[in-house]
Amino acid sequence: MKLTIGHLYPDLLNLYGDRGNIQCLMKRCQWRGIEAETISFEANDRIDFSELDIVLLGGGSDREQMLVCEKLKAIQGDFKRYVESDGVVIAICGGYQLLGKYYKTDQGMIPGLDLVDMYTEQGEGRLINNIVLKSELFDMPVVGFENHGGRTCIKNNKPLGKVLSGAGNDGVSGYEGVIYKNVIGTYLHGPLLPKNPQLADWLILRALQKKYGADVELTDLDDTQEKEANDYIYKRFVK
Amino acid sequence: MKIRRIAAVWAAKTAGFICKKMGRQGVTWAGKIALKIYPPILKELAAEVRKDIFAVCGTNGKTTTNNMLCAALEAEGQKVICNHTGSNMLNGVVAAFVLGAKLNGHMDADYACIEADEASTKYIFPQIRPDYMVLTNLFRDQLDRYGEIDITMNILETMIRSVPEMKVIVNGDDALSAYLAMDSGNSCIFYGISQPVMKNDTNEIREGRFCKRCGEKLQYSFYHYSQLGDYCCPQCGFKRPGLDFDAEDVLVGDRLSFRVENRLISANYKGFYNVYNILAAYAGVRTAGMTGEHFTDMLKKFNPENGRMEQFRIQGTGITLNLAKNPAGFNQNISAVMQDTAPKDVIIAINDNAQDGIDISWLWDVDFDRFGEESIRSITVSGIRCQDMRLRLKYVDIPSVLEPDVEKAVRDRIKDGTGNLYVLVNYTALFGTRNILKKLEGEQK
Repeated sequence: MKLTIGHLYPDLLNLYGDRGNIQCLMKRCQWRGIEAETISFEANDRIDFSELDIVLLGGGSDREQMLVCEKLKAIQGDFKRYVESDGVVIAICGGYQLLGKYYKTDQGMIPGLDLVDMYTEQGEGRLINNIVLKSELFDMPVVGFENHGGRTCIKNNKPLGKVLSGAGNDGVSGYEGVIYKNVIGTYLHGPLLPKNPQLADWLILRALQKKYGADVELTDLDDTQEKEANDYIYKRFVK
Repeated sequence: MKIRRIAAVWAAKTAGFICKKMGRQGVTWAGKIALKIYPPILKELAAEVRKDIFAVCGTNGKTTTNNMLCAALEAEGQKVICNHTGSNMLNGVVAAFVLGAKLNGHMDADYACIEADEASTKYIFPQIRPDYMVLTNLFRDQLDRYGEIDITMNILETMIRSVPEMKVIVNGDDALSAYLAMDSGNSCIFYGISQPVMKNDTNEIREGRFCKRCGEKLQYSFYHYSQLGDYCCPQCGFKRPGLDFDAEDVLVGDRLSFRVENRLISANYKGFYNVYNILAAYAGVRTAGMTGEHFTDMLKKFNPENGRMEQFRIQGTGITLNLAKNPAGFNQNISAVMQDTAPKDVIIAINDNAQDGIDISWLWDVDFDRFGEESIRSITVSGIRCQDMRLRLKYVDIPSVLEPDVEKAVRDRIKDGTGNLYVLVNYTALFGTRNILKKLEGEQK
């Protein structure tokens, strides 16, 4: 089996250790004997979504997002078809905001990809915290770090999780992130995946099942160190 | 008003004395007290500096550059005020002045060398109005505190423009710093390394790949490290400026040497990045109008004893302690460690206190895979976020030993290690670790 990960615009969206998310997906495939490849797309590259099994859209500064949204117009149609046909996407921080209709900042309006019915508006002050969620998808809590000026409204969509500690989508709703089909959007970096191996495996499994059929299963890995790191954050900020 | 100023100086000196007696790093407290008693104290004392005031800013190398600049000015016979310990926010800067003032409340100094935290420049610059600013580099650092590197750049640009007569001495190899300086309209002096020195094939995270002037992707003919190198913009013509102080014939090994203005400069340091620190200090002294004839002598004696490549010897084990607080700095640390080809042990201590930045995502932007070599016999992870550090190494297939207690980690490796130990720590782990090493060094006497 083989998975191809598309890393979108790491030259523009590459803050906050996004590289760790790629590294985590690659290693967790390789440790299981699943071949994994990452293709990085730069701003002017043509993207063939049919070649990709997981798409990672990372975080960037507001200025960089403004540059990216220009490029996104060209791929919007293809990206939308990929998502609607159950393509796996993990979008983090700035990338999460770009999933929606728009991100309104005091510098102007950044049009989004409109892949998920949601939007973001800049709020007063940045939400900067360690953050812990409880997600229905996993037994382990989801832990990470959030640092965002935008407040995201996910309307009727399902959140990634309930906030146990931290601010979340908007600091008031008590929820964080979004799940839509096989798309996960979240403000959590840290990076997200290494300390949340169940989330990483969810992405890998969904991608494999889409490609090779619903009966694909993942072999267990020794996640002692991942669990200990996760548990440390949980205990420090929740218990 | 004079009375209050004297009272402020005395109170601060008393506070500083008490802290010293108690063995604490209490200089910021002294500054805070002085400001409370007499708010205009910094402005007034700074105005009494007879010649010039330097402010040293930039992500990495501030403390080393500032201390070296101070030592270089002193070597030329000048009296200098300096915030040696690297307390670089407003209170720390105030403390440097009040603790250096005379008991009558007046200054007796020719120069001031002030390291200033980038975000604190907005409080510091209006008070001291520097004559020169040294800008070392801009890398991603403490994004939780500063938000984004763009925010830091905006603050610095505003502050540079607010002192239009200030000359900016800037690292020309850094497109971000050079752009800031050039765009400000202030007069600029550039230093840098015009020719490639080290082989650079690492997959480093590079900041500012896009032209700040027009947004186009910058082209590089080579990189020194991180985004430092020879750049130009194919669209608007922005490019690395001509260097006023160019380090040529750079040699990096157990010691460093290079030529600038036809002068041979050599120092007993490891780490390529120290070429920039030395060069910045040299450019500072020369720009201030001195010949710099004592510069190389100063370097021979320069030993800041502040945990920057500081050496210890404990029970036969040679220990090098170094600060590593962001990806660019850590990658340079790794290069310096790997230049030593002898077998070695490494301890990495990572804290996430406010001064470190509470977000430790940056660990994943460091090229730790370069530690996966034979000469590295063991890696011990320590500090508050040792679990994260262990996980980081796991994902480059490097096993590590977990020991949250730094002192125990050091004792263990002295006992069972190679006799060659590198201790790499981030900011708040530095003072504690240094105290532990000093203590262990003392125990054997």
